[in-house]
Amino acid sequence: MTTMIERSLKYVDERLGTASFARRALRKVFPDHWSFLLGEIALFCLVVLVFTGTFLTFFYNPSVREVVYDGPYRPLQGQHVSAAFDSVLRLSFEVRAGLLMRQVHHWAALVFVAAIVIHLCRIFFTGAFRRPREVNWLIGMALLFLALGEGFTGYSLPDDLLSGIGLRIFYSVTLSIPVIGTWVTYLLFGGEFPAGDIISRLFVFHVMLLPALLIGLVVVHIFVLVLQKHTQFPGRGRTERNVVGKRLWPQQTFKSVALLLFTTAVLALLGGLAQINPVWQYGQFRPFDVTSPAQPDWYIGFLDGALRLGPPWDLTLFGFTISEVFWPAVLFPGIAFGILTLWPWIERRFFTKDYAEHHLLDRPRDAPARTATGMAGLMVFFIMFLEGGNDILGVLLNVSVEAITRALQWALFIAPVVTWLVTFWVCRSLQRSHAHPARISAGLRLRRTTAGGYETAPLDPTGNPE
Amino acid sequence: MDVEQEREREQRLTTDQRRAERAAAVAFTVAILAGIGLFVVYFAGGQTQIEGVLFCLVLGGLGVGVALWANRLLGAHEAVEERHELTSGVAGREAFGHALAEEVGPTLARRSLLVKLLAAAGGALGLALLLPVLSLGPAPGRTLKETPWRRGIRVVDETGRLVTLNSVPEDGFITVFPEGHQGSADAQALLIRVPAGSLELPPERLEAVPEGTHVAYSKICTHAGCPVGLYRATTRSLLCPCHQSQFDVLDGARPFFGPAARRLPQLPLGVDDQGALIALGDFYEPVGPAFWDRGRK
Amino acid sequence: MRRTAILLGGIALLALLLTPAAGTATQQQPGSSPALFTRGRELYQQACASCHGPDPAGQSVYGTVPSLKDVGGAAAVNWALRTGRMPWKDTVGPVIERGQPRFGGEDIRALTVYIGRSVGDAQIPNVQTSPALVTRGRELYGQACSACHGMNGAGAALGGANIAPSLQNVSPQDVAEAIKIGPGEMPVGGGLPDYDFHSAQSTQEVNAIASYVESLKTRPYNRGGAPIGGKGPVPEGFVAWVIGLGVLVLAARWIGGRS
Repeated sequence: MTTMIERSLKYVDERLGTASFARRALRKVFPDHWSFLLGEIALFCLVVLVFTGTFLTFFYNPSVREVVYDGPYRPLQGQHVSAAFDSVLRLSFEVRAGLLMRQVHHWAALVFVAAIVIHLCRIFFTGAFRRPREVNWLIGMALLFLALGEGFTGYSLPDDLLSGIGLRIFYSVTLSIPVIGTWVTYLLFGGEFPAGDIISRLFVFHVMLLPALLIGLVVVHIFVLVLQKHTQFPGRGRTERNVVGKRLWPQQTFKSVALLLFTTAVLALLGGLAQINPVWQYGQFRPFDVTSPAQPDWYIGFLDGALRLGPPWDLTLFGFTISEVFWPAVLFPGIAFGILTLWPWIERRFFTKDYAEHHLLDRPRDAPARTATGMAGLMVFFIMFLEGGNDILGVLLNVSVEAITRALQWALFIAPVVTWLVTFWVCRSLQRSHAHPARISAGLRLRRTTAGGYETAPLDPTGNPE
Repeated sequence: MDVEQEREREQRLTTDQRRAERAAAVAFTVAILAGIGLFVVYFAGGQTQIEGVLFCLVLGGLGVGVALWANRLLGAHEAVEERHELTSGVAGREAFGHALAEEVGPTLARRSLLVKLLAAAGGALGLALLLPVLSLGPAPGRTLKETPWRRGIRVVDETGRLVTLNSVPEDGFITVFPEGHQGSADAQALLIRVPAGSLELPPERLEAVPEGTHVAYSKICTHAGCPVGLYRATTRSLLCPCHQSQFDVLDGARPFFGPAARRLPQLPLGVDDQGALIALGDFYEPVGPAFWDRGRK
Repeated sequence: MRRTAILLGGIALLALLLTPAAGTATQQQPGSSPALFTRGRELYQQACASCHGPDPAGQSVYGTVPSLKDVGGAAAVNWALRTGRMPWKDTVGPVIERGQPRFGGEDIRALTVYIGRSVGDAQIPNVQTSPALVTRGRELYGQACSACHGMNGAGAALGGANIAPSLQNVSPQDVAEAIKIGPGEMPVGGGLPDYDFHSAQSTQEVNAIASYVESLKTRPYNRGGAPIGGKGPVPEGFVAWVIGLGVLVLAARWIGGRS
């Protein structure tokens, strides 16, 4: 067995020169903190998405041609539905493990974007986007937008009532763009809503264009990471000129494989036990039907909430109109994501004036203004998410949707300011006390004084008594 | 640490490691059994919930075993690697610059006209390549401002049945379409029967409400286009489920809460000599959400 | 006459068998026994007159309380009493909330007879559900009901203090009566075109819708697993974050280091 492996390695090495490269690669050192694994969670969700998605593609039919449903879901038997919808129902009820694959795919999509967001937060709050990693920050933002696009196009493919309503809203949002809105919309949809082409076009985006970009950029993202080496938290023996951690082989490989297995395990469990997007209950999309409650998947929820919060102000000048939809659905995300995307440059040009290379991370408390701004930004998005579910919240809390909307409209302006101030104060106070935010008592050590009593000794950033 | 403590520590490690090994072995065994279970379940016909749990056990069992291996059975020692300079340095960049400019540079300087024409030709090509994109869809034209409703077209419900003054009970409502266009996305309208005398419309609009009770509005929300399907009979208002815009039916479908900025356009109705409801024309305004040239003819 | 009585008795039996036992006795056309009428009047004076006035067909005592003469007659009484919405509980929140019925089956029949005949609308819908009607029912439900109650009957908020309640655990009689009455914010006729309580077409359509609503309870088709409330992407997103990402972050903390 060993000689066979030796012979194979020799075969490949003689042709590709892999041995020395592989040796260097296996010995690469990766800093070992649990928060550095969050990006890997997103990556492994993507792996699940590709595998389950490929399976789904063999069964899905991206056509709006009308067929008569004759499957086992009784309430729809004999009804006219689109071929796309019919194929999804067939996959769900007549293909063994079909529903499992479909649900795993959808849960993976939800967790994928959540993992990207939490990974983005880690990068932001530790200042990992600083030079020389601005490029990877941009790539990461692009990956976030691609993931959002993949999700939206994906859940619109079954041509069901709920996602069709979402498509109608998307159509209205693109219509609202000044000057070119109607043209762009008609080019995208192939005509007036509900133009028949849209489902097959979404399919092309979802299965070909966006995955190609996504996977390509992920590869570049990882390549740049390997080239620049990972950042690390300050600590004993860690400097700006070295990397301290575990080697790729065997520690990091085992850890990553374990995380991959856990990710797939959690997604499999959710896919089997928790029903998601039961499109048969919603039924075929028809442009004059509607269902309540009506929300998009969570990662689009902030846009839905923005639309609900938005003031009823349309603007008409000389017969030209800017729809009230434009401000919350085009302008707000444009500005918010614009600031987020350009944050590395905004921060250093206007706030820190810090153009140096950084390979050591900040603890969030070490950059109070950045942390406070980030938390305030998250609060804005959180309020939008809450408003997106205002009717469900209303029933849950026994409060009217009007009351929730009014409260959140006020909160949108007050809460981020309060959040900023509170976070800033917390960071400063943690800096002073050197305490761990979750383990207050662990931040202090007792020290014998020369007089015979005890005093508390503060810790330096590496966790040792000063 | 002295020798005794060293030996104790080594023994402890080994016990820890043995425990970890046993636990990992159990985890891997669970994975194997779950894998076999999957085969059984699949060939027995399959069941989504059981399949999900079994897959979770296979993957999770493997995951727990590998994680234990990584945490307890591999060394916890850390390694150090030096970072290399990322930049090529001034010298490196100059060399690159030289390599680029080596034979091309003089050409660029001498043949500036050629270069300009090259740029222009490239631009023309770029624009021409965009032309097929225009084939993706038609020009909007007047389609956003018109619906199939015309003067004299009879009003029908979704199944094509003619709608008369008796089709809707008082405080009731139905969805209606122009005859021959059942299911039309932009023609969809709501016919609501309100008590006589309760409508507060300007006189010329009230004329287009048969008996002063049967009023029709576009069903497409003027905010973001969702069908405004929720009619609240006590308050006589319409609620859109997408973003909670609310429209006052008695006041020309004026939005009184929520993000919608404009009324739902009214559809003028009349009654023909057979008693069927007919439209007296298209909606008074373009239906649905606003767009750039909505206010232009 | 006799055949009608037998038919009605059979339907009553069928309806009784189809509905759950506790407190939701279905009513068919109430018999015209004078004893029932008297008992109904007694109960009305005890339990209802303080708000609805001494005469059901007359004015009610308070401005906010509707007179019983235009709420939908016997069907409204039957519906409100069977579902425990009436007598009024001092509840905060949605105006008409289901609860435990205060009256037993006989008393409900008595009140229904009394009030129905007093206001001149003594008829109660007959419902006959059948699995064969589920498909047509779903079609009609999508046209008329799903906007407020949701395609899967999970219910939704209606603005103000109102909700369209969940239909995932209601009886066919509830459905038929609600369509006839148009209780609260619900429109009379439930959004069905050409709705006429007496017409055969409407009866068929109501039977179909009731069949579909019944199927939401008896054969809910949650093949995918736990429905998580059936309210769509909002609870799904919550589960994805709290359970999906939550467990994975814990896993990452187990696997990774803590520097």
